[in-house]
Amino acid sequence: MTTNVLFAGVGGQGIVTASDVLAQAAMVAGWSVKKAETHGMAQRGGSVVSHVRFSADGQVYSPLIPAGEAGFLVALEVLEGLRWLWMLRASGRIVCDDRRIPPITVSSGNARYPADAAERVAERGVLVPATAEASGLGEPRAANAVLLGALSPFLEIPTGAWRAAFAERLKPRALSVNWDAFARGRAFADVAP
Amino acid sequence: MSNFTTQLLSGNEAVALGAWQAGCRVGAAYPGTPSSEILPALLECGRRLGGDVYCEWSVNEKVALEVAHGAAIAGARALAAMKHVGLNVAADPFFTIAYTGIEAGLVVVSADDPGLHSSQNEQDNRFYARHAGVPLLEPSDSQEACDFARLAFRLSEEHDLPVMLRLTTRVAHSRAPATFVAERSNREPAGAPINAAKYVMIPANAARRHVRQVEHLRAVAEWAEDAPINRVEDGVGDVGFMTGGLAYQYLREVMPDAPVLRLGLLYPLPERLVRSFAERYARTIVAEEGEPFLHEQVSALGVRAERMPDGLRLGELTVERLRAALAELGLLPAATDPPAAPRSDLPARPPVLCPGCAHRAAFAALRRLGVFVAGDIGCYTLAALEPLAALHTCLAMGAGLNQAHGIAKATGGKRKPVAVIGDSTFTHMGLPGLLNAVYNGGDYVTVILDNRSTAMTGGQDHPGTGRTLMGGEAPAIDFAAVARALGVSLVLQVLEGGADRIESALRQAMEHDGPAVVICSGPCPLRYNVRSEPLKVVSDECQECGRCLDIACPALAWDEVAERPVIDQALCTGCGLCAEECPFGAIARAGEGSAR
Repeated sequence: MTTNVLFAGVGGQGIVTASDVLAQAAMVAGWSVKKAETHGMAQRGGSVVSHVRFSADGQVYSPLIPAGEAGFLVALEVLEGLRWLWMLRASGRIVCDDRRIPPITVSSGNARYPADAAERVAERGVLVPATAEASGLGEPRAANAVLLGALSPFLEIPTGAWRAAFAERLKPRALSVNWDAFARGRAFADVAP
Repeated sequence: MSNFTTQLLSGNEAVALGAWQAGCRVGAAYPGTPSSEILPALLECGRRLGGDVYCEWSVNEKVALEVAHGAAIAGARALAAMKHVGLNVAADPFFTIAYTGIEAGLVVVSADDPGLHSSQNEQDNRFYARHAGVPLLEPSDSQEACDFARLAFRLSEEHDLPVMLRLTTRVAHSRAPATFVAERSNREPAGAPINAAKYVMIPANAARRHVRQVEHLRAVAEWAEDAPINRVEDGVGDVGFMTGGLAYQYLREVMPDAPVLRLGLLYPLPERLVRSFAERYARTIVAEEGEPFLHEQVSALGVRAERMPDGLRLGELTVERLRAALAELGLLPAATDPPAAPRSDLPARPPVLCPGCAHRAAFAALRRLGVFVAGDIGCYTLAALEPLAALHTCLAMGAGLNQAHGIAKATGGKRKPVAVIGDSTFTHMGLPGLLNAVYNGGDYVTVILDNRSTAMTGGQDHPGTGRTLMGGEAPAIDFAAVARALGVSLVLQVLEGGADRIESALRQAMEHDGPAVVICSGPCPLRYNVRSEPLKVVSDECQECGRCLDIACPALAWDEVAERPVIDQALCTGCGLCAEECPFGAIARAGEGSAR
C-alpha cells in the first residue's frame, strides 16, 4: 500500500524542505520512497508542489502521485490548499496553514481571492495556524514543521525516524526550533494520535 | 565486504556521486534548470569523500564541453553538464568530439525538461545522441543515475567516444534511495599526447576518424546485446513493452506484471535483443516520454511495434496519461469515472520577480517609455507577465540583442528598440551580439541588468561576481569597460537606481546615434539578502489609484476591507520603487509620515 503526500504552497515557503524531511523519515523507517520537487522559474513566488510517496510493503515506481490519488495534502497557504484539493482521493485529508498570501493576479486587481477558500479547505481536513505558531517560537519559517507535526499522527512513522530526518535535512542551528514547531503541530491533528 | 551506504539522493546528486566514483577530476557547466545541482554536488563529493576534483562554471555550455574535452584529452576523466537547450550551444564541439574521441572518459550530461517546468522549449535531446553518433544512457531513478554515470565513464574510455547521460526533470529533481560504496577509481592524467591524426580535425583526419567512430559505435551496440542495463523482465500476457528512462517507472506503476524489455542504453540499440523480444509477443508497444525516438529506431530495424498516441509527444508523461494511452491502445479498460482534474476557476499564481528585485525598476522605466523590449533568459523574463508586461521577446540565450539589431535594421530610423539582458546571460552569449552591433552599425539600446548573480537557477557565480565555483576570488568583469573596449560609444551606468534615474539614462541612450549600453546594477536581494526599512501606505494621502500595484511586487496587495493598497511588512525590502511610482506621495518609510 503506497502512501501519497502532496505538499503545496508558494515558492520560497519551504515546501522542498518539508517534503525532504518526510521522505527522509520514511527512508529511515526502512520503506520504499520517492519524491519529486519543483525548481527554477516556478520557485519565484509561484504555485509549487512536491510529491512524496512511500510504501512499507511494496515498491514505489512513479515519483509523481497519480491524479486524484493523494492520501494527504499539506498546504502552506489557503488558496494553494484549495488549488490542489483535486489531487486528493475521496478519503484524502488536507492539513493547511490558515495563512493567506494573495497571488499577483489578485493583488494587481485582476482576480479575487476566493472568499470561501478556508471553508472549502476545512471541509476536507484541518486548518492550522502554522505560521502563527511558528512565529510564536520566533521562527515563522518553521510553519512547515508545524504542519508536518499535524500530519504525523496520520502516518506510522516512528518518532525516532522523524527526529533523524530533521537532523539530516535541516541546518544544525535550525534544528531545535523546527523540532519544537513539529511538537506543537502534533496538537492540531484532528485525529487521536 | 565493502561498506555500503544508502542515502536519499536527487538524480543530480546521484550523477555527481557516480562521476566521483568513476574518478571524474574535472567538471564544467553553465547553470540551467534542471541540471544546475550536478557540479556543486560533484565538488562536495570531492571535499567530503576525497580525491582531486576541479569544477567550474564556464561562461557557456560550448566552453564547458570544450574544457571537459581538453581535460579528457589530457587523461583526466571529465564531465560537462547542461540543460537540454545548453546542448544546442555546445552542439558544435559535441558532434566533432564524437570523431576525435578522448584519452580518459568524457561524459556529457543533458538534463531535458519535458513539460517545460523552467525552459523555453521541450526538445528531446535523445536525438542529439543519434545524430552525433554518441552512446546514450538514460537512468530512471537515482540509483540508476549513480550507476549509469559510473558506467558512462567506463564506456567512454573503452570505446573512445564521449557518452551522453540523459536526465529529465523528474529524474534530476526527484529523490530516491541510492545505495553505493564510497570508493573512487583513480586515473592520473598523463598529459595531452601529441596525436594530430586523432585531435586535429582537418578534413583528411576527420574522414578517417569518422570511420573509426562508426566502428566504435558498432562495438557499443554489440556490447549492448547482453549488457545488464538492457534487460528482459518476464511477465504475464502476450503484449510486450519496450521502454527506457523514467517511462519505465510509470509503466511499472500501470502494468506491474507485463513483460518488459527495459533499455538503459537507448542508442545504439541492441538489434538482436530487440528483435528476439518482439518475436515472443503478439503485440509490442514502445512506451516512452516525448518524441517517438525509441519507436523510430525499433521500426527502422523492421520490427513491428506500436507507439504512444501522438498527443504524448507534447508535455511530460504521467501515470494517468500513460494509463489513458494504454486504454486507447485497448490494453486497459477505458476509465469509467472522469479523471481528477485541476479547477480552472481559481486565480492563477504565476511566478513573479522577488520583492526588492533590482530588475523591477528597469522595467518600470521601460514601460514608461513604451518601447519594444527584446528580452532574454533569466529571472527578468518574468517581466513579460501581467501586470508589468514590459518584455516582448524571449527566445534563446543572448538572442535579445540580435533581435533588437534586426528590428532596428528592418525599421531603420524609427523608434529604437531596446534589448534587455542579465549579467550572467551577457557573459554567456551577449558579447558576440554587442560586437556585432558595433561592427554592423546597430542602432538599438542594450540594457544589462546586473544583479551579480545567475539568479534564476539558484544564485550561481559568473565572471561578474568576483568568485568561482571552487570558492576562490576572481577578477570581476567590468561590463562598462568591456562595452567600451568593444567600441560602444555611449555607455551609461546606473548604480542601484530607481525608475526615474534609469528612465533618464534610457532617454539619453535612445537619443544617441549608434549602439548604446545602459548598465543597471543592484544586487539580487535573494542572494545578497538586501533589506532596508520597509515602506507603508499612508492612508490619508492614498487616492486608491492602484499605480503601485502595476509594478508586480509581491509585498503589495489590494486590501479589500480598507479598499487601498497595503504593504506586507515582512516581505517589503524597502527598495522604494512603489513610493517612486506613487503620484501622490502616499508611500513612505514605516518610520516616517508622508513622503512629501
